[in-house]
Parts: sequence; C-alpha cells; structure tokens
Amino acid sequence: MRIDVVLRYVGQVMMFIAVFMLLSAGISYLSGMDSAFYPLLLSALLTALLGVFPQIFVEKKAQLSNKEGFGVVVGSWMVACIVGMFPYLMWGGEFSFINAWFESVSGFTTTGATILNDIEVLPRGLLFWRMSTSWIGGMGVVMFALVILPSMGRSKMMLSNVEMSTLAKENFHYRTQMIVQILMVVYLGLTILSTLMFKVAGMNWFDALCHSMSSASTCGFSTKNASLAFYNSPMIEAVMIVTIIVAGIHFGLIYATVTGKRGNIFRSEVTRVYLALFALASLLIAISIYSADLYPTFGQALRHAMFQVASLITTSGFATADTNTWTSFAIILLIFVSMICACSGSTTGGIKIDRLVLSAKMMKARMKQQRHPNAVIRVKLDGVIQENDTLHAVTVFIVAYMMLILIGSLIGALCGLDLMTAFSGAVACVGNVGPGFGEVGSMDNFASMPAVMKGVDALLMLFGRLEIFGLIQFFFMKWWN
Amino acid sequence: MTGMRKRVTIAFSSIVCLLFLSGLLSLVELNRVSRGAGDVLAASRRNVELAKEMLDAAHEQNVALIHLTVLGEESYVDECRRAMGALEQVLMTAREEAFDPSFLDSLSFATIEMKVMVDRYLARRLEKPTMQVDSLAGEEFPVDSLGVDSLLMKAAIEAAEKNDEEDSVRWYTEEYEAVYLRLTAAVKAYMTSTQSSLAPRTEQIKRSAYRAVTPVLISLLVMIAVLMMFYYFMTIYCVNPIVRMNRSLGEYLSFRVPFAVKEECKDELLELKEKIETLIVQSRHK
Repeated sequence: MRIDVVLRYVGQVMMFIAVFMLLSAGISYLSGMDSAFYPLLLSALLTALLGVFPQIFVEKKAQLSNKEGFGVVVGSWMVACIVGMFPYLMWGGEFSFINAWFESVSGFTTTGATILNDIEVLPRGLLFWRMSTSWIGGMGVVMFALVILPSMGRSKMMLSNVEMSTLAKENFHYRTQMIVQILMVVYLGLTILSTLMFKVAGMNWFDALCHSMSSASTCGFSTKNASLAFYNSPMIEAVMIVTIIVAGIHFGLIYATVTGKRGNIFRSEVTRVYLALFALASLLIAISIYSADLYPTFGQALRHAMFQVASLITTSGFATADTNTWTSFAIILLIFVSMICACSGSTTGGIKIDRLVLSAKMMKARMKQQRHPNAVIRVKLDGVIQENDTLHAVTVFIVAYMMLILIGSLIGALCGLDLMTAFSGAVACVGNVGPGFGEVGSMDNFASMPAVMKGVDALLMLFGRLEIFGLIQFFFMKWWN
Repeated sequence: MTGMRKRVTIAFSSIVCLLFLSGLLSLVELNRVSRGAGDVLAASRRNVELAKEMLDAAHEQNVALIHLTVLGEESYVDECRRAMGALEQVLMTAREEAFDPSFLDSLSFATIEMKVMVDRYLARRLEKPTMQVDSLAGEEFPVDSLGVDSLLMKAAIEAAEKNDEEDSVRWYTEEYEAVYLRLTAAVKAYMTSTQSSLAPRTEQIKRSAYRAVTPVLISLLVMIAVLMMFYYFMTIYCVNPIVRMNRSLGEYLSFRVPFAVKEECKDELLELKEKIETLIVQSRHK
C-alpha cells in the first residue's frame, strides 16, 4: 500500500474540514467574536496545515488500489474525528479529552449523543461547528472530497465503492460521478428546504440552519438543552418529522422521484416497508401511551409517538418527550425501530430496512425450501434477484451487529451501568441513534458515563458508521493480499 | 509542485510557521493569565486595605463616642466627626473601585444609618447644654444670677447633666451599639463578598491557563505529526532513492550489475537517475 498516496487523499479531506472550521470561526466573528473564535481559527489553521503537508510531496494518482481506498476512507473518518476534537479541546468548558473525543465522534458519525449538560452555554461558533461535524459526517467525509476535489479522477470509483454500503451502491444504477452529484443535490436541497421550513415554523435563522443541518444528516444535535421540546411547537415538530423521514429514504430514490424517473419512492418495496413500519410503530405506541393515561388526548399521544418513532427510526435522536416514562411496550418497540433504522443509501445508520426485508424474504425462502427441497428459490428485492453473496453478507452483518451490541452491553454492565442503560446505550451507539433509555434517555445525556464507557461508545459509533467491517478490515490491512 | 528545493522549503516554512503560531498563541494566553492573576491579587489586596480602613474608622468613631457618651468628654466631638468622614471617604473610594458596586449596598445603608444617628446625637448633645443654660439664664435662673441662687442652679445643672449622662449611655448601649455592630458586620460582609466575587475571575484565569496550555499541546502534537510526515516523505522521496542509486551504481561499477532503481524518483532525483543511466549508456558505447 502506498501510504503517501493515502496521506494525500486524507489530507484533502482534512482541508475540506478546515474550511468548515473557518466557516464556524466566521459565524463566531459575526456573533461578536465570541469565545470560540480563536479556538476555531487555530484549529482550522492546524487542520489545514496537516492536510496541505502531504500535497507538497505527493502528486495526484490516477488509480487507487482496493486497500488504499479502504485506507483513505477509514483513515479519513479517524482523522476527521481527531481534528474535530481540536475546537472543543481548545475551547474548554465541559470538554475534557474523552468528552471532546466522544462529541467529535458522535458528530461525524451522526450519532447525536452528547456529553454536554448545558448546550446553551456554547458560543454560536462552536454550536455551528458541532452541527458542521454532523453535516459533514452525514454525507460521508469522503463523499464530500469526491465532489469538492475533482483532481481525484478515476480514484473516485474506488473510494465510493468503499464508502457506501454495498446495498446502497447496488440500488443507484448510476455512474459514480452521477451518484456523487445526486447525493449532493438531495442533501443540499434537503438542508436548504428544511432551513426555510424551520424558519417559517418559528425558529430564528441560526437555529433553523443548525437544526436543518442536524436533521438532514439524521444526527440529532440541537442548540437547546431540551432538544425540540424547547419549542413545544407542533409545526416545528411536523417539519422535523418530514425532514428526517425524507432523509431516511434512499437518496437515489428521492432524486428519481423529484426528477420524475420510473424507479421512484412509490415503486420501492423498501421505502414502502419503511413508511409502513413508521406508521404502524407510531400508531401502536400512541395507543399504548394513551391507554396508560400518559397523555390527556389521543392526538397528543400520537404527536409524541410519531415524533419519537421518526426520531429513532431515522437514527436522529431528537426529543420532545421523556420516553423513559413511557410504557414497556412502547420502549421495546422504540428499541426495535432504533435497531432496524431507515433505508440504505441515506444518511442513517443501523441495520437498515433493506436488510430487514431481505432477512424476512430469506426466512420465507427457507421455509419454502423445506417444503420443496428441489426447488430453486430466488430472493428478489424490488424485482431484482439478489446474489447469494449479498444475502450472505446481510446475514453476516446482522449477526455481527448483534454481537457488537452484546459486547457493548457487556462492557456497559462491567462499568456498573444498569441493564437498560447498558443495552440501550449500546444499541444507540452502534446504530448511530444517539439517545437510548435509562440513564441515557431522550432527556438525558452521556455525561454521567464512566470515561472508559465513553471511549467504548465512541468506538461503537465508528463501527456502526463504517458498517462494522470497514473498521475491522482497517486493523487487518497488513495481511491483505 | 516541482523541484526538491521548493518542496523542502515549503515544508520547512510551514513547520516554522506552526512553531511561530503556537509560540505566539501561548505568549498571548500567558500574558492574559498573568494580567488576570495580577488583577485578582491587586483587587484582593485593595479589598483588604479598604475593609481595614473602614474598620479602623468605625473603631475610632466608636472610641470617640465612648469618650463622649460614657465619659462625657466633649473634645471628642470633632474626633467623632472626623472618623465618620473618613469612613464615608473610604466607602466612596470602595464604590469607585468596586467590580460590582452592589456588594456595597448594605454597607452604604449601615453607614448612612450610623451617620444620621451620630449626627442627630451630636446635634442634640451640642444643643442640650446651650438650651439648658439658655433656659436657666433667660427665664427663671439667669446666668448672671448664678451666685444669687447658686444651690438651686447647681442642683438643676447636676440633675440635667446626670439625666444627660444617663441618656447618653442608654443611647450608646441601646441604639448606637446595634448600629455599630451592623456596620462592622456589613464591612466584614463586604470583605468576604468581594473576596468571593474574585472566584469567577480566578475561574476565568484557570480557563485562560487551560486555553494557554491546550492549543500549545495540540500544536505540539500537530507538529510531531507534521515532522513525522516530513521525515517519511524525505525518506521515501530523497533518502531511499539516493541510497538505492548509490548502491546500484556501486554494484554496476564493481560487478557490472545493470543500474536499476525501483524507488519512485521525482524532480532533481529523477534527473539524476536519468543522467546516471545516460552516462552508463555512454560509457558502454565508448
């Protein structure tokens, strides 16, 4: 592997991140040179320097090997999380080393979990940087680099192969250049549109922009301690539900729908299951919490149920209610949706509906096979026959995902956390959801977690974001052939 | 970007810039820390000084009033007024210098309360003998007739003095002492509250100290990373090709092994490699 070439492309990603740091410093300057200005400016300079340095020595290359592509992607995530800590560390406050690492990883992996007890004390520049990490992470650090840095030429294909989950890649049916453009158009469009809608719904411009960045990336960071509950506005909640639900749909399908192509949202089996799951879970939870007299009217119960289901199924993690007080049935259902999550090809994490649908079909096929041992049974998704490799990968991924949750829960229990906190915390981190239940509920945060657990949770977030195997492979690259 | 010299110069310049930047930053932050610490220390010292002056003035006035009320020494009236004036002056200075003048509100109230009370007492005390003498002299017992009815006059004055003395002591113990205690308590409260008001400033200094250290530490880490990259790039782009070329040239000269350098060469090193190859070709033809 040519380490110098990997360093060059990772450097380009860092330069891109430095631009966002500078932008945050600009916000800080416009907010009357708040206390985040110098930390952001210095972080931008240091990050830019780190990024520029390899460009001095390494010329651009036409082709990257598979191994190098992996190195660039995983390296970019790791380095982004590291340099993302700089502004937090320099600013101080609640940001100790481990807290800054947690917050940075949580942002870039779009998990949205926080260690901050008081978010509102952060200066605007730092709040914007926090949202920027989630926005950059939402699209994938490398996907940005692919758009911004046209110099990469043919390497793009290799990078996006590694960056995007296989399922998402297969569903696009476009060339890589086109994929990147689609992603950018949809992502930018969604961000701009939701900013305007939040503004109309009653937020100020800054909060509207921050919440739109956070919702388009399905991260869940908010500028308020009480998250969306601060506004207590059905209008804002409705805008948020629409934004995150759309952000949870395959971006290629959104593009196809907007441009009037055939393979659109309404024809997608996965999207139908996703929307049906959202509607069904919302309704069941609303009935459950209304029956338990937690809300005076069914309308209110439905409003909160819909918001929480949308928030967890899309791995956003915004909150309008303390779900810890909800019924056991509602909690179990919410944990289920936060494990399944939304569609591949979106900014969400988790197992993803595609794999759930394929698993269900595989089970059905298995039962059919038992009845007709000699039959050749194919599993189809959206009318496309799925290869055995894909199905095998789905099974392995789900098993690995569950094992990761188990390991996370075990470590949590070892650190002295109660069963609900340990388990739901692991689910929330692996799925990049953010809030769990128990001590890390929708109205709580990860501040009280032991430092070791914060480190483990940050690692779980990275595993989840890189679809588990991306990170594992990185550690075994030496033995690749 | 071409030219080994250019690459090395840019890389070296960026390292120097980083060094300069981190140095400048730590200097600025350390200056701020030092200034902040100096301010806090000066404020603390000044606060203690002012409180001491206030307590001294209150004490002097208290002593003067004891002389005046209990011992009846009229000469202490001026001393009493001077001490009150001094207390007011210190209070005014404290108010001017205070970070947060609200800390002085209760002290100001106690001082005004005491001033009004003492002023009234002094006015009464100064007026009383005159009135007694006037009343004695003007109507029933004229002063010039003291000798006429001296016994009655003496008895009246003694009675008046005794009443006055008893009044003064009662005034001191029942009225003044409580106000005096309130004033000294207010001075002490001023001292402690101002000292505790320095806590946020100390916290700010702590934050500044953190900010002075963290950027430097981060810059240092970045510098280490940059230096490692510099070492790595110099090794693979300069050192390794030269070593290989040297070895290959040596092998060619000693054993006629064909000159071949697998390392990626660029800029002047690529030229050097090509020139060596040309030279070898030329020497073969000769």
